[in-house]
Amino acid sequence: MKTLRIASRTAALTALALVLAFAPAAQADQAPDIGFVDQAALSSIPAFTAAKQQLDAFGGNLQKEYIARARGASQAEQQRLSAEFQQKIGDKQRSVLGPIFARAQVAIASVASSKNLSVVVDKQIVIVGGVDITSAVRDLLTGVGEPVPPVNTPPPSTVGYVDQQQIDAVPSIKAAAADFAKFKATQDQAAAAKFKNAKTPAERDAIMKDYQKALTDKQNQTLKPLVDKTTAAMASVAQKRGLTLVVDRGNVIYGGTDITSDVTSALK
Amino acid sequence: MRRILALIACGTLAACAHGPSSAPTAPVAGGRVGYVRMDDLVKKHPLFGQLAQYDTNIQALSLSSLVPTVLTQSPRLAAEEARLQAQLEAAGKRTDALLAAKGKSYQDRENAAIAAALRGADVPPGASVGAIQSQMEGTAHAQAAGAGAQAERDLDTYRKQLEAQDTAQLKAAQQSLEARADRTYHAKIDELNSKESALTLLEANADAAERLSLRTKLSSLALDEAARDDANKQLAALDRKEADVEGALHNTDMQALAAFEAQLRTQVQNDMRTQVAQIRARSIQRYHEREAQLRGQFGPANGPLIATAPGGKVTVNPNLPPALRQRIQQLHADYSQAFQNDAKQTIADFNKTRTDLTQRYALLTGTDAAAAQSAQLEIRSLEKKRADLYQQMVAQISREVKVVAQERGVSTVVSTVAPAGGVDLTADAMKDIETLHE
Repeated sequence: MKTLRIASRTAALTALALVLAFAPAAQADQAPDIGFVDQAALSSIPAFTAAKQQLDAFGGNLQKEYIARARGASQAEQQRLSAEFQQKIGDKQRSVLGPIFARAQVAIASVASSKNLSVVVDKQIVIVGGVDITSAVRDLLTGVGEPVPPVNTPPPSTVGYVDQQQIDAVPSIKAAAADFAKFKATQDQAAAAKFKNAKTPAERDAIMKDYQKALTDKQNQTLKPLVDKTTAAMASVAQKRGLTLVVDRGNVIYGGTDITSDVTSALK
Repeated sequence: MRRILALIACGTLAACAHGPSSAPTAPVAGGRVGYVRMDDLVKKHPLFGQLAQYDTNIQALSLSSLVPTVLTQSPRLAAEEARLQAQLEAAGKRTDALLAAKGKSYQDRENAAIAAALRGADVPPGASVGAIQSQMEGTAHAQAAGAGAQAERDLDTYRKQLEAQDTAQLKAAQQSLEARADRTYHAKIDELNSKESALTLLEANADAAERLSLRTKLSSLALDEAARDDANKQLAALDRKEADVEGALHNTDMQALAAFEAQLRTQVQNDMRTQVAQIRARSIQRYHEREAQLRGQFGPANGPLIATAPGGKVTVNPNLPPALRQRIQQLHADYSQAFQNDAKQTIADFNKTRTDLTQRYALLTGTDAAAAQSAQLEIRSLEKKRADLYQQMVAQISREVKVVAQERGVSTVVSTVAPAGGVDLTADAMKDIETLHE
């Protein structure tokens, strides 16, 4: 009988430990598990500023070369050169910034893990509370040696996130966005043509008013229903998965719960 | 037993993880996490109108065709330039054809003169070399007249081209000046609006504590009628004070804006007059230059009586007196040289005209590029102002949200993209923000 009581107590303690370990939100009031980083502050560390200078110099030289090659070229050739220019810039950014970002990511994960944070987001979206880990990350990045990645994966988080790019790729949304883009291009051209002939500020104001109304009407007709539907789908998924917050993927730096596939499935 | 407890634990875990999200105020176990929809709050902020105005101005500047993509020439200008090039090349070909015709006529005349000279013995009595030369000169005059008429037509075409270019240049200059004035005017409006917005924000912040205190007092049920009236009067006095200060600044700004607009209009008119005078003077000068060149080229030619044998060998009637033969040879050499110079000069003139026109169009493109650069700078400036204003608005909204979070016992608030199980503070924060309008 005594053995059974000890066994029961041990099991209860284990269960409690499990609850505490897998329910980070349970500690939110005293020690919230949402961390944040001021990315603007991190961008001023020497590694980033040096990378920026390197990219600026590269971009400047490339632009000069592009100007020289594009002068007198046909429009099609200019477009081809522009694409080549963008590709080179992108490659250079990846090669220069990629390792620094990877290192920063490791540092953030390391600090988050040491502070039991289930998610780290950008400072911009945190209005009240949260744990600011900017200085700890900065110290790791500017200190001697490489930051050590955490052993464990981030704990489950009640903060969900969605990847807007993937949602935009849902066929119905993609088609609506393309339809709107086509409409906008037509309106842009028409408004620009009217602008050229407008003689007074009042005429220009009237053109802008018409232009904006046309876009708003079209937006309400084609995009708004889909935006509402997407928001409802996110809310529904959040409810099903017991999430307290849903943020954009772009604002999540570490951890969090990805609900994008659930949302896209609900939209299809 | 362990297994059961573990299952209970899992059940508890699941309950924690799947907290009730339908109730917006559902607390997170051990603490409360809230959220706001920042976009909705920004739309309710008193300065949202100003923010929207920045967006409109940026959109308007981006829309104007004065902002071409990097290094992309305006298709309109490129087409215009191509059309002009084609016209000039056609005119060049016409000139070449004319010169060839002229050369042929001289060749014919020379051949005829040689034949006449060789037929000296057969020439009817009275038909002297002078008579033959006179007849040939008549033909030359007729041909020169034909060439002159073509030159007149070319000159007329050139005049029309100049007029079209003048019109295009004047239109471009007018649009550029108006766009510049418009941007300056809107920049002034933005500047004044920013001042007014800053004042509104300052006033709202200055009175915020007092307003909150009065509203708290008014919400008390125990407040007697006299005290309630007094609090309402104090609120009204605050409103009046703010309205007076803002109204006074607005009136001053309106006067300044009217004066500025008049000044801009005068400036545009003066600049336009200068542009018109310069463009007209330049065109008239070019027209006269071209006219003088054409008249020189296609004036009546006095052709000598000489013939050139096929293959280019010059032959002179051996029966003619040596002095006359030498004279004819000399005239032939002089004429050949003059004709070659004439042809070269004509081609060079057309090339020069083409270069001039290309340069003028390059100047036009340059004007557009400068205008585009100016517009892009203006867009960047507006974008910065917009970002600054947005930051101010978000900062103020965040302050209001903090107060609401404190009242609702929420320790963490995040700006989100969709409703979830946390506490939605948007509506409460919105009410507080709306009081800033008062």
